[in-house]
Amino acid sequence: MEQLIRRPRVAAVAIVSALALGLVPVAGATSYIYWWQRNMPSNGVGYDRMTAHNHFYNELYFGPNAGWSSQVWEVTPAGYRHFDKRCTGNCFNAHPAYYYTYAYCSNRDGSTHFVYDCMDKW
Amino acid sequence: MKRRRVHFAALLILAAATAGLLSQLVFGGSDRVKIGDGSVSALARPSKAADTLPESVLAYPFAERNFASKSGQGSRLLRLEGTLRLYAVPGKEGMLCLIEVDDAAATAGGACADRHVLLTGSIFMADRQENGSQLVVGLVGDGHTYAEAEGRRAPVESNAFLLRGVVGSKVTVGSPTAVQTIDLGD
Repeated sequence: MEQLIRRPRVAAVAIVSALALGLVPVAGATSYIYWWQRNMPSNGVGYDRMTAHNHFYNELYFGPNAGWSSQVWEVTPAGYRHFDKRCTGNCFNAHPAYYYTYAYCSNRDGSTHFVYDCMDKW
Repeated sequence: MKRRRVHFAALLILAAATAGLLSQLVFGGSDRVKIGDGSVSALARPSKAADTLPESVLAYPFAERNFASKSGQGSRLLRLEGTLRLYAVPGKEGMLCLIEVDDAAATAGGACADRHVLLTGSIFMADRQENGSQLVVGLVGDGHTYAEAEGRRAPVESNAFLLRGVVGSKVTVGSPTAVQTIDLGD
């Protein structure tokens, strides 16, 4: 093996292959906006429950005036909750794609607010 | 003459009511305890190499939509505890952002809010852990000295606090003379 790595051409192929494999999840990433420019009532919930995916990102964006509580989280089809994050204002949670989940977002303020979008990635 | 005085008095009352309404809307009401003036002195200190946000964070859509500059210019590393790093980042249109990055867990998160929030509380994130407790991190304005949950008090350092193992839904932040309550929700 050591002899193989010493050969420049083999080493170059190995590096390119490793880089390509490392970039596969990013290159193949899909985004989906599951709440789009609507008012969300107090404790209202937006969700992406079309198909469970191995999510690595979930975001809620009110806009630049946000100053109240929010939440993003994920739930497996079996009902187990993961990557549950409460925030003040606009919020995102990025994490390893450990589970096949549905994505959720919520306005946790006591009154209705306009939500620009909620977006998940897998 | 008397009529003009009545008009003037009515105008004064209207102006006072409008000012009161505006302060309620902007600052969250006079019944809420205020600490400091919303300044974050950690953002004013000279920058170091460690203050630069990781590229992975800048690549998320959140960064472009919330940070004042795409590169997260002006960010400051507030806390480093184990593998967890907390950053403050200037946001768009008067917002401030708190960003957390945990290299070991390969996680990152962020909260951006209007900086007026710092007058009456904190820009915080509460992450539910697998054991059901929460890891609570917060950005507070100058003047705040501690955060406390369930009798456990953590100091504010560089405008940030970190509380592990929070089971309840309330955290308090305060100064030597005032206390504010943060509702984490259920």
